[in-house]
Amino acid sequence: MKRGIHLWLLAPGLLLLAMLMGGPVALLALESLKPFIPGSMRPGEGWTLAHYRELLQPAYLVYFWETFRIGLIVSTLSLLLGAPLAFAAVRSPRAAVRKGLLALLVGLLVMSLIARLYAIEMAWGSLGPLAPLGALLGFAPRHPRYAEVLVGIGLLHFTLPVVALMLVGTFRALSPRLEEAAASLGATRSDAVVSILLPLAAPGLVSAFLVALAMCISNFVAPLVLGRGVVVFTTSLMYTRFADIGNYPSGAAIGITMLILAFLVVYGLSALARRLVPR
Amino acid sequence: MARIIASPAVNRRALLGGLAGMAGAGPVFAQPRGEQLLVVMWGAQWIEVCRPIGEEWMRATGDRIQWELHAGGAMAVVGRLRPLWPRVPQNLIAAWDPVFAAMMEAGWMEPVSETEMPALREIPDAFFKKDAQGRKMTVPLSTAGAFWGYRTDLVTGPPIESIEQLLEPRFRGKLCVPVPVNLSGLLLVSLAMQRGGNERNIEPGWQFLKQLAERGQIGRVVANNSEMINAMSAGDLSVAFWNTGGWQAVRDRFPCRLLTRLPDNKGFLFNEGFAVMKGENANRVAAAKRFANHFATAPINTRYNMPLGSGPTNINSTPAPAIADIFYKPDELERFAYIPDYAYMSSQVDAWTRRWETEITPLVRRG
Repeated sequence: MKRGIHLWLLAPGLLLLAMLMGGPVALLALESLKPFIPGSMRPGEGWTLAHYRELLQPAYLVYFWETFRIGLIVSTLSLLLGAPLAFAAVRSPRAAVRKGLLALLVGLLVMSLIARLYAIEMAWGSLGPLAPLGALLGFAPRHPRYAEVLVGIGLLHFTLPVVALMLVGTFRALSPRLEEAAASLGATRSDAVVSILLPLAAPGLVSAFLVALAMCISNFVAPLVLGRGVVVFTTSLMYTRFADIGNYPSGAAIGITMLILAFLVVYGLSALARRLVPR
Repeated sequence: MARIIASPAVNRRALLGGLAGMAGAGPVFAQPRGEQLLVVMWGAQWIEVCRPIGEEWMRATGDRIQWELHAGGAMAVVGRLRPLWPRVPQNLIAAWDPVFAAMMEAGWMEPVSETEMPALREIPDAFFKKDAQGRKMTVPLSTAGAFWGYRTDLVTGPPIESIEQLLEPRFRGKLCVPVPVNLSGLLLVSLAMQRGGNERNIEPGWQFLKQLAERGQIGRVVANNSEMINAMSAGDLSVAFWNTGGWQAVRDRFPCRLLTRLPDNKGFLFNEGFAVMKGENANRVAAAKRFANHFATAPINTRYNMPLGSGPTNINSTPAPAIADIFYKPDELERFAYIPDYAYMSSQVDAWTRRWETEITPLVRRG
């Protein structure tokens, strides 16, 4: 009886969730199975898996791989840069440093992404003053693959403040007394960080990494503005189909495939993290 | 899509008579109250020239004009409206030939006539797109074109006299080209014609494009006017294939040469203008037609086309002096210009886009 009451109490929330989240995804899944008639605005009759079969072509697998590869690289960089920033924002002995870092992170978060992306293009683009630095990563500024560097920097601007602010909460929840206790037992500061702090912060680090990854692989505007038309994420493929050629079924198939892949990657990474850092 | 909303000013009666007199279409302005219109227009210099025209119209008529900008190419709006039809809020859509063909096929457009829109009498019949019953379906505002061109300050060595020269090492990474969804694949048609093909025999174009991509000649792939203008203004790209509007913006800032009279290739011509969308609210459709008619009148048609670098369609309009070298004299048309089958091209864009994604982008990425 009690269980039944709980279910009834949950029902409005579940219904809302189903309508807001499940409904659109279900419609997208159905759309992905419809045939497309080129040059026509009218949907085809019947059902087909052709749009999914098309995505098995090597060229399309490369688009998925590139999206995840760049996303994983940027998420890793976000974590490597965001964790020290967050740690300093929490543990710096100087209040001005703590406040300054937090203000910087929040400032980056609220600043228009478009403005930041065009600033990156001006600074790091082929003729920008920072282009030689970008070239150190292996591509000449005029080489099409240099666009990957630009997109990576753009995504980093997007994810870094979010990751760092998430980790501020993680590090705040860890008592400084743990490090002090480790130090009193003879551990060096780096030992304390590696063997005490990081394992305790691992769940927060994994969460921040997964959020950064989700932000990267679903990003549309950074590849669009900085990708020079050669760094093409799956979001761009979807946009072209939905908006430019009106091929909704194909766009929907890419969306559903991306959703499944993202679930698998997130589930896989979470499982790996649980195995590496048992609670 | 970005929307720009402007409110009408209060002194509409004072301006009503003046504007009506200027347009020579007095009776159509005698409306008791204004209508809310949503008009889709391109960004960059298109919206810049339209905004003041719209504001004057609002002051004069009481209509409220809300501008919505095309995101990417004009064809994008078709895909966006499809799931919404017939409940679409847009009343006028600025578009061009292939997009008109797609919208006519879908049955979305309202026929137009000289009775309701007197300025259409001053536009040559050949510029109109017509339906199967021979009714005029578009409001042609511009004759525009798509051409190869280059910045003369950046191209060293002999001038470009044939697009075959684009395979030379000096153009490595220097080309700025559109994806097939932009200009409905005119780039491919241009390349195909260079090798003896056309829009229905497009394979030679793909082979030429692959050669360009394999040799690393393509430095940037752009998807809209702003991207093209920015790319060609930055200074690292020197050659592009794009429309007259984009070229005009680049020509305003840098010395350029448009390859409109190539001995072994052609330039492309097309019409841009308004499509009046069908709607349940007859007053609003009528207001949309009045606003489109205003753009078709000679003074506004002149003003609209001047900064776009495109040719006006109203026979009483004055073309910009700067476009004299772009457009063709009647005896040059057959030799240098080509008007492809845009309706056929719009039916091929989906297939061409897939082929671009699977065969060209990987080559361009390799550099």
